[in-house]
Amino acid sequence: MKNIFILLIAFVFFACENIIYPELEPSLEQYVVDAWLNDLPGSQKIFLSKSNNYFMSELPKLLSGAEVYLTDEDGNRYDFEESAEGYVWGDSLSTSFLQVGTSYQLNVSIDGIRFSGTSEMNPVPPVDSITFKYQEEDFSTAEDYYLAEVVATDLAGVGNTYWIKAWKNGLYLNKASEINIAYDAGFSVGGNIDGQVFIQPIQELINPFDTDETGEALIEPPYSIGDTIYVEIHSISESAFYFLNEVKIQTVRSGGFGALFAPPFSNVSTNLMNEDVNSAIHPVGFFNVSAISSLEQVLTSEIAQQAQEEVANKD
Amino acid sequence: MRLLFLIIFFNASWLSAQQMVTLNGEISDAANGESLVGAVVYIKQVEGGAVTNVYGFYSLSVPPGTYDVEFRYVGFNTQNMILKLTENMRLDIELIEIEKELNTVVVSANREDANISDVEMSTAKLDIKSILKVPTFAGEVDIIKSIQLLPGVSTVGEGASGFNVRGGGVGQNLVLLDEAPVYQTSHLFGFFSVFNPDAVKDVKLYKGGIPPQYGGRLASILDIRMKEGNNKSYEFNGGVGTVFSRFSVEGPIKKEKASFILAGRRSYVDVLAKPFTDVFDNGAALYFYDLTAKANWDIDDRNRVYLSGYFGRDVFKFDERQGFDWGNQTGTIRWNHLFSDKLFSNFTGVFSDYDYGFSFGDDASDTFDWSSNIKTYDFKPEFNYFLNAQNEIVFGAEFLFYEFEPANAIGVSDGFISDISLDKKKSLETSVYFGNNQKINDRLSTQYGLRISSFRYLGGGNSYSYGTAIPGERKPWIGTQSHDNMETIAHYEVLEPRASMRYTLNPTSSIKGSYNRMNQFIHLISNTVAATPIDVWQPSTNNIKPQTGNQIAVGYFKNLQGNLFETSAEVYYKWNKNQVDYIDGADILINEFLEGDLLSGDGRAYGLELYLRKTRGRFNGWISYTLGKSELKIDGVNYGTDMAERKGQWYPNRFDQRHNLKITNNYQINDRITLSGVFSYLSGTPTTFPNDRFSQQGYVIPLLKNERGNVRIPDYHRLDVSVTWDNVYFGKKGRKNTDYFVFSVYNVYNRRNPFAIIFSQGSDRQPIHEPVETMASQISIIGSFVPAFSYNFKF
Repeated sequence: MKNIFILLIAFVFFACENIIYPELEPSLEQYVVDAWLNDLPGSQKIFLSKSNNYFMSELPKLLSGAEVYLTDEDGNRYDFEESAEGYVWGDSLSTSFLQVGTSYQLNVSIDGIRFSGTSEMNPVPPVDSITFKYQEEDFSTAEDYYLAEVVATDLAGVGNTYWIKAWKNGLYLNKASEINIAYDAGFSVGGNIDGQVFIQPIQELINPFDTDETGEALIEPPYSIGDTIYVEIHSISESAFYFLNEVKIQTVRSGGFGALFAPPFSNVSTNLMNEDVNSAIHPVGFFNVSAISSLEQVLTSEIAQQAQEEVANKD
Repeated sequence: MRLLFLIIFFNASWLSAQQMVTLNGEISDAANGESLVGAVVYIKQVEGGAVTNVYGFYSLSVPPGTYDVEFRYVGFNTQNMILKLTENMRLDIELIEIEKELNTVVVSANREDANISDVEMSTAKLDIKSILKVPTFAGEVDIIKSIQLLPGVSTVGEGASGFNVRGGGVGQNLVLLDEAPVYQTSHLFGFFSVFNPDAVKDVKLYKGGIPPQYGGRLASILDIRMKEGNNKSYEFNGGVGTVFSRFSVEGPIKKEKASFILAGRRSYVDVLAKPFTDVFDNGAALYFYDLTAKANWDIDDRNRVYLSGYFGRDVFKFDERQGFDWGNQTGTIRWNHLFSDKLFSNFTGVFSDYDYGFSFGDDASDTFDWSSNIKTYDFKPEFNYFLNAQNEIVFGAEFLFYEFEPANAIGVSDGFISDISLDKKKSLETSVYFGNNQKINDRLSTQYGLRISSFRYLGGGNSYSYGTAIPGERKPWIGTQSHDNMETIAHYEVLEPRASMRYTLNPTSSIKGSYNRMNQFIHLISNTVAATPIDVWQPSTNNIKPQTGNQIAVGYFKNLQGNLFETSAEVYYKWNKNQVDYIDGADILINEFLEGDLLSGDGRAYGLELYLRKTRGRFNGWISYTLGKSELKIDGVNYGTDMAERKGQWYPNRFDQRHNLKITNNYQINDRITLSGVFSYLSGTPTTFPNDRFSQQGYVIPLLKNERGNVRIPDYHRLDVSVTWDNVYFGKKGRKNTDYFVFSVYNVYNRRNPFAIIFSQGSDRQPIHEPVETMASQISIIGSFVPAFSYNFKF
């Protein structure tokens, strides 16, 4: 896949892209709810903001004065208090109140408007292992490198959905193209693979491919000896899976020849609603509750040695 | 229904009261034996005649007597004969091409006044000679690019495969190559078509007034006929160009009885680039090719057999294991049989296989291979019954069996194989039709008919049922039912009346009108800016109904200055049902539950087409202008603020281009040099702009107002020129060998025509606590002028 850009560029050197600034209408200023909670120890945060015009590149500003709380099936209520970083529940010593199999409702009350949404916490399988494959230096990198693969097995039963996140040396792999979601062990609903090991493309999406700043090579090696990789698998609801899929479709847009394959823009879905169904105000964003399993792995020289030997044995 | 039968019966019985004799035969080109399609046999005393069909056959019945008969075809010398007809006579005629003279450069293969006198309207017939003179991308002659110069035909830009007719989608055109359906008409994303002009004899595009022999698509029929191959002597044609080269050989297998033609092309960007880059060293490849092969045998006066095949492929490979590829293969066998002097029949058997796919993965233990394909088996018996000089009856049937493999996907992970393929789907489309081409009197001629089709969606495999959802949202899957092999899962029957008429006002002008209804049972599923080679074809099912289209068209046709100028003005109105569209965020690839992501609704398109052509002279060419609109109305899409019921409002579809202007000119400087130019202007297509942005977990997401296609991409315009130099090396003394050299420049004034406007965030890694930058950019597929040359020869 790395060669795709090189080949396409080599062939179609006539194509070009220029930046333009079309005029847009005034901002819709839509309410945005960013509520992705999990069962890790520590505090949990919900962020409320408003949408701004497409060309306003700013960090979102917190909306003040809202009442935010979760309720569960038994009627328990968990309040989120306003703070500088968002609406927060708990502190660094807290243990999570979230339980697998329980359904939670998020309630937000702001400016006289009430929003709500529900999410059930689904189970998550453990991370079996993180392995490394040895790759010889090729024309895209300046040195030998290693590709990481996360191995985990989908839980039995059709319809488990997950979000797999990765950190290299403590830095979250945050490109939209790196959003790694799975439906059972595959890419999409109807893919027919339940209860199996995640398919190879999902296992490998935890590798960063960043351009080499020094210009010596095209890309920096994903992992080299001494790097640490930390992977979390989050269980997500099926509607959150569709949401993240839509986010990828709307945000990962290649230029040049790739524009031929681009689907049209459309709005992503949401599981939040204005309780007044006749109102013209509709919040955007998502509410999801995840169980998390994780594993950290350092690429030691022993592991690197083993990976090299495996390649040598194959030849 | 009954009235139609009565009319035919009445005419037939009245005329059979008199004894009639039939003159029939084949008209062909004396130089190479190719049958001439649309040649005229005219009998002065009867003030009428016949026209050869697509196999070059004519039949004309008259009372016994002595007649002045003319055989003519534009560009060829007319033959006149005095024939005494006392009994049925078989007469095969060979016409001789006119020596090219300076001011009789022929641009059209039609009879000179065909524009006025043909009943056909909304059709365009292109002859290879005029296609050869049109400058195109990279100097390569192209059938699809040439039909885009006609009124009503457009494309959404460079990089779009296929073509659009009267606001219809790419998948709504039926493209036939010697009767075989072709699903992908483009190489390399629309830059070149798959048809090798060296092998093509005749091209006809029906945009409306579609006769009953054709069915299965809503917007148009593009009927391409290949040459049979020179049956008198060997002929070699070829050319060397900047992107690909072509070579064809044709000749007699048995002189004047059997002949063949073999034509091939291959691109060689990869071959040329190899010494300069190591990109291709590890098995990477970038090429396309096509091969057309045909043989035919004139068994006797009453029987002729043809065998044709087409094999084409596009390959993009990044290394030995990874890449994309797609291709069409078709094979056709046909048998022309004359049951009697009046009854011509043709039996066609076709096999077509269209496949496409991609692979990636570094080694045998970690791979992902996806492919999709459609196999089509088609059997068509068709009959032409030349009742008399006023009536030509057609009737026949078609049996089309489809086998779709929407996704054949195998993933191998650490040696563990998972097969995530979707079921094969089968369907059977059967039709019967009949029609009559009737000359009612000197002024009025009509063509009318009926086509009845039945479509069955068949098992093995599963069918699905879906629950209801808010309009515009994914329908939930609620059940699966499995079916036996060939069990009928869904069944549709449709009636398609067809009618057109021509009323002659005077010898130089006429009015024409037509109505047709078409149905389409297989659908091209694509939600990208332009159709791409990995779009999926989907049959109608228990959840997806066949598309239905109705079209009326009315036109005024006038020739000026003795057929020197042809002009026409035509208006059309189309109204369609069960048009396919998608929910926001539809999942198109490898989705077993694709039906839940599809929406259906109404479509309409209307427009005005103006056409002016100068047919002869040193300076000739044509101007086409179309003013058109094409829209969809689908519940759940573009519903404004109606949150409760979400009733859709009309919105422009992806192919809606308000203005479409093409000016094509040739100027013959002297008997060897011709200058050509093409100017194209197309209004921008609709697109949807986001207005806002918001954040989720550090990701920035666009937010749109609830309207589809609310903004237009800027207009497209382009000028191409070329110079053709005939007889560069060969042909100087008028010998059989000829050659010509073309130098062309595409996009002369360097315009960066926008193909799409994308809103993006850049693909570099964003530092965590800095805001993500969003921007808009305009993509042009061709951003500069493109010079090219080609050298072509014939011997």
